[in-house]
Amino acid sequence: MSTGIQATTPTKIKKLSPTELQILWADGHETRHIAQVLRGLCPCASCRDEMTGVRVILPIHIPDTLEFRKIGLVGQYAVHFDFSDNHGTGIYSFEYLRELCPCEACARKETKKP
Amino acid sequence: MFNKGKNGTVSEGQVLDVLKKVQDPDLHKDIVSLGFIRNLKIDNGSVAFDLNLTTPACPVKDQMRDEAIALVKGLAGVSNVAVNMTAEVRQAPQMDKTALKGVKNIVAVGSGKGGVGKSTIAVNIAASLAAQGAAVGLLDGDIYGPTMPIMLGIEHPPKSVGSRMIPIDAAGLRFMSMGLLVKSDQPLIWRGPMAHRALQQCLFDVDWGELDYLIVDLPPGTGDVHLTLAQQVPLTGAVIVSTPQDVGLRISLKTLRMFQQTRVPILGIVENMSYYICPHCDSRDYIFGEGGGKRAATELGIPFFGEVPLDVAIRKQADIGSPIVVAMPDAPSSKVLREIAQKVAQQVSIRSFDAPILEVE
Repeated sequence: MSTGIQATTPTKIKKLSPTELQILWADGHETRHIAQVLRGLCPCASCRDEMTGVRVILPIHIPDTLEFRKIGLVGQYAVHFDFSDNHGTGIYSFEYLRELCPCEACARKETKKP
Repeated sequence: MFNKGKNGTVSEGQVLDVLKKVQDPDLHKDIVSLGFIRNLKIDNGSVAFDLNLTTPACPVKDQMRDEAIALVKGLAGVSNVAVNMTAEVRQAPQMDKTALKGVKNIVAVGSGKGGVGKSTIAVNIAASLAAQGAAVGLLDGDIYGPTMPIMLGIEHPPKSVGSRMIPIDAAGLRFMSMGLLVKSDQPLIWRGPMAHRALQQCLFDVDWGELDYLIVDLPPGTGDVHLTLAQQVPLTGAVIVSTPQDVGLRISLKTLRMFQQTRVPILGIVENMSYYICPHCDSRDYIFGEGGGKRAATELGIPFFGEVPLDVAIRKQADIGSPIVVAMPDAPSSKVLREIAQKVAQQVSIRSFDAPILEVE
């Protein structure tokens, strides 16, 4: 969907509320992520089988009251979150966070894909 | 547009206006807009100022200075121009303000395969930068085969103050190595998490002080140490060392891709063991083929830093613990290595200058 380095380079990451995260991208796009969804799509090895890629945890397993506790950068390519359920092992690459953008425009592009 | 100075002498505005014609060829801006001109003083016909560059190892500093002097001298009413060259290495924007707060730039030196002379190049780059007036730290991150203590002639372990280790002064550098923490004849047999913790200790539990550059020598390949480094600190960039051989280069590309995946900018490629100069007839012999590193750099669109010859003097100086750029600064190989160090510093300046700033709230 999103192409180019601009589309996957965040310029600002901000916690709008305990459950909502805003990411502004270098291409001007804005993404809003909900803690429940990001936690449910955690890319770490215990939430997603390392060998098969099958998800062990899904957003439906996570209460919608789940909150972001801490947000931090991983080097220059990813973000990690400490969630209110004490989980914090996922490394969310900038590409992954953009890929998961739930906005209508991104969702439409996603379904267009063959 | 600027007021004429009193009594027909030149004004500050006139001097700055003419200095705007001097461009920094790397940052593509004029030296006035970049804030390089400091302490401008005009006393009748005498003009004096500091030209404050982004690195003391700037390869074009003489060119910029001469251009500035010529332009100011060309102004009516100026009889004498004195330029004081200074440098202030700029902090990489994403540098962690807490853990390594005195360190302005961290540069990794990596290679795909072992035995390409990566550590030798790293030591000489670091020592060259230090010799040109920068504050430089060197971390030997090659935890499995630390050779740097030998190259710098260090045998004793570092001292500690409280829980912090004090880096060892050698060749004008502040130096730290995993090799200093274990007995020199003992092999390190560690699983990943140990390697991870060891590197963390060497980064964060060492009193590095104020550094313009912290050079980190990585183990060959793409392993735990690389990932830890890419995840724990915002690297200004990485330098890849390779031999001219196709096989060496191809493996180096893997290291390069790993850095790209973790968004560590590749500053450039250094080709080592490029040629051998026959001590009898002075002819150059390209033992491992010619031009491989340069071709790869061109294909990938990254800077090529230069070719370092297979030189007995480089090896000898490394073996006796005194890097060639310090012990024999006038040797031809020292010149090559110094130019490479300057190009590294140049790329670091460019990266720190245009790196995007990411706010996290």
